[in-house]
Amino acid sequence: MNVNPNVALYLALAAYALGTLAALVSLFVREKRLQYAGLLAMIAGFVAHTIYIGSICVRTGHPPITNLPEALSFVAWLVFAFELVLWIRYRVYAASFFVYPLVLLLLTVSAVVGERLAALDPELRSNVFLAHLLFTTVGVAGLLIGLSFGLLALLQDRALKNKKRGRLWEWIPSLDVCKNVSYRALAIGFSIYTLGLLAGVIWSYRTDAGFMELRVKQIGAVTAWMLFGVLLQSYVSNTYRRKRTLFISAGAFVAIVVAMLGIRG
Amino acid sequence: MPLILVGLNHRTAPVDVREKLSIAETKLADTTRGLCAIEGVDGAAVLSTCNRVEAIVSTRDEDVIAHLVEWLADRAQTVRTELERHLYVLRHGDVVQHLFRVASGLDSMILGEPQIGGQVRKAFTTAHELGTLDPLLTQLFENTMRVAKKVRTDTGIGEHAVSVPFAAVELAKKIFGDLRGLQVLLLGAGDMGELTAEHLHAQEVRQVFVANRSADRATELARRFDGEAVHFDRFDEHLGLCDIVIASTAAPHYLVETHHVRRALDVRRNRNLFLIDLSVPRNINPAVAKIDGAYLYNVDDLQQVADANFERRQSKAADAEDIVLREVETFRKRLVAQDAVPTILELQQRLETIRTSELEKCLRRMGPMTAEQRETVEIFSTQLVNKILHYPILQLKEASDEPQERESLRRTIRKIFGLR
Repeated sequence: MNVNPNVALYLALAAYALGTLAALVSLFVREKRLQYAGLLAMIAGFVAHTIYIGSICVRTGHPPITNLPEALSFVAWLVFAFELVLWIRYRVYAASFFVYPLVLLLLTVSAVVGERLAALDPELRSNVFLAHLLFTTVGVAGLLIGLSFGLLALLQDRALKNKKRGRLWEWIPSLDVCKNVSYRALAIGFSIYTLGLLAGVIWSYRTDAGFMELRVKQIGAVTAWMLFGVLLQSYVSNTYRRKRTLFISAGAFVAIVVAMLGIRG
Repeated sequence: MPLILVGLNHRTAPVDVREKLSIAETKLADTTRGLCAIEGVDGAAVLSTCNRVEAIVSTRDEDVIAHLVEWLADRAQTVRTELERHLYVLRHGDVVQHLFRVASGLDSMILGEPQIGGQVRKAFTTAHELGTLDPLLTQLFENTMRVAKKVRTDTGIGEHAVSVPFAAVELAKKIFGDLRGLQVLLLGAGDMGELTAEHLHAQEVRQVFVANRSADRATELARRFDGEAVHFDRFDEHLGLCDIVIASTAAPHYLVETHHVRRALDVRRNRNLFLIDLSVPRNINPAVAKIDGAYLYNVDDLQQVADANFERRQSKAADAEDIVLREVETFRKRLVAQDAVPTILELQQRLETIRTSELEKCLRRMGPMTAEQRETVEIFSTQLVNKILHYPILQLKEASDEPQERESLRRTIRKIFGLR
């Protein structure tokens, strides 16, 4: 694939920006056609994004998850892929108000940080390390989707309980769908993320770095893992409707961001 | 556009008049055939709903209106003057606009109601199968159904429930999504509760349990919903099995208490429970609403939902009317243009004949010419004819939708240009 990665990246960014703008405007004007236009723009961005990721793979010869921009870009790509699958299955319009800006944000940060394409350090060329990278990024994407749908479930629950329909009412699918998608995404994301962390610990143990260092990314990753565990437990025990879920979700999101930014460190 | 519509609806006629004219679905074909047999009628269709009966015909003869009124009076078994007070008569473009509005639900008793679309389709298919539609009426109905679909898709005018039972179904969908496979408990046999259960049954819920003080009534209702009658005093044993509970009894106290709901939620492993209290006095303790996973709506809450939805429909009605007006104008222009085609063709042929014969004479008189000069003269003659024809053709295409005015214009043009 002889494509300049930057061209594909900027195309993806432009299309994601358009898609996000259209989705957010549709929230205020309540226009379904604008939502569709936003989705089409996002799909166009996704295609460009896929080409960008593919071209990096070709140039570096490894999955694009070895430094911060690559990992952010890959998570953004996965998050939108999951969102697309869920949209096809459930026609969830409301998720776009959270997921599109998130995807745009992740890819923008990835572009702004703009590290050079990393040729993988020979020391890092191990299956365990690649498994660590792959599982954690896929897990993070699943957890972010779980957080988005969890937020929708909370909004829907509040609207039904208070008998007050907010702006998002007609865009949000049924409470059961939001809850089930959120629970499944969290459960699958959490399991994969756990595997990713375990692979990281094993790899770290095998190298000179030792069992674990208390670096920012590791503290962030473990905190996120614990908070997501608590969140998952709140679904199992059916206490997810409580206010603390909001705080735990916010904390888990911050911890994930810290863990990802820590990739640089 | 030689269209005539004669009819009555819920705004122009009281129910005792409407019921005299109402047409059973099985009689629609016979009625349409009878309408088409009236002298002067070229094409015919009958639109019949519980709130309206309308005879739609295409005709070149305005006198047909009197025959239509007579025919309707005969059907209603009443005197013509008595019926005329309730009838409206629409002509040409007004018929198009009226049908577009009716099919879009803009003229319905409940604004935006979706059933009318199916009833218009029924009128069309019946007449189509009988062969009583001429090309004009076929175009009219095809466009009517297309416009109705466009109005509903673009404005969403019929999307939200505007009655209490439908509002309950809409909320149930907001909680559970797909209602198939759910179980419903109907507590009591009040009218509203029965109607709500009926709507839920239509959504293919898996099971309806009916608990009523009168066991016979419970059995009767259960049979209607393919459900199961349960003992009224032991209704709480079924709470845990059900996803939706409808309370509609005449009991003057709470029947469903918080401990019932807590226990039901335990049995249901915290799956959501939707409780609909349609009774006055209420039968479900309002404190139930505070329990996580239990969603309680009483009759006022549901009425508020229905009212809010109705307001939203009204706000969308203006957009819908705009679409209808635009579509009426497009349809009118297309028909007028179609109507003018034979005259336009004759006109073009006539002038082409004059052009070629005069060109021949002219070329003979001018003597030998180069091919280039000959081509220039030919182009000049063609352009001259086109310029002369431009305004008459434009006038024919953009003529009024009044058939008489259009006919008068056509005659004038034919006379001026010596067409037969």
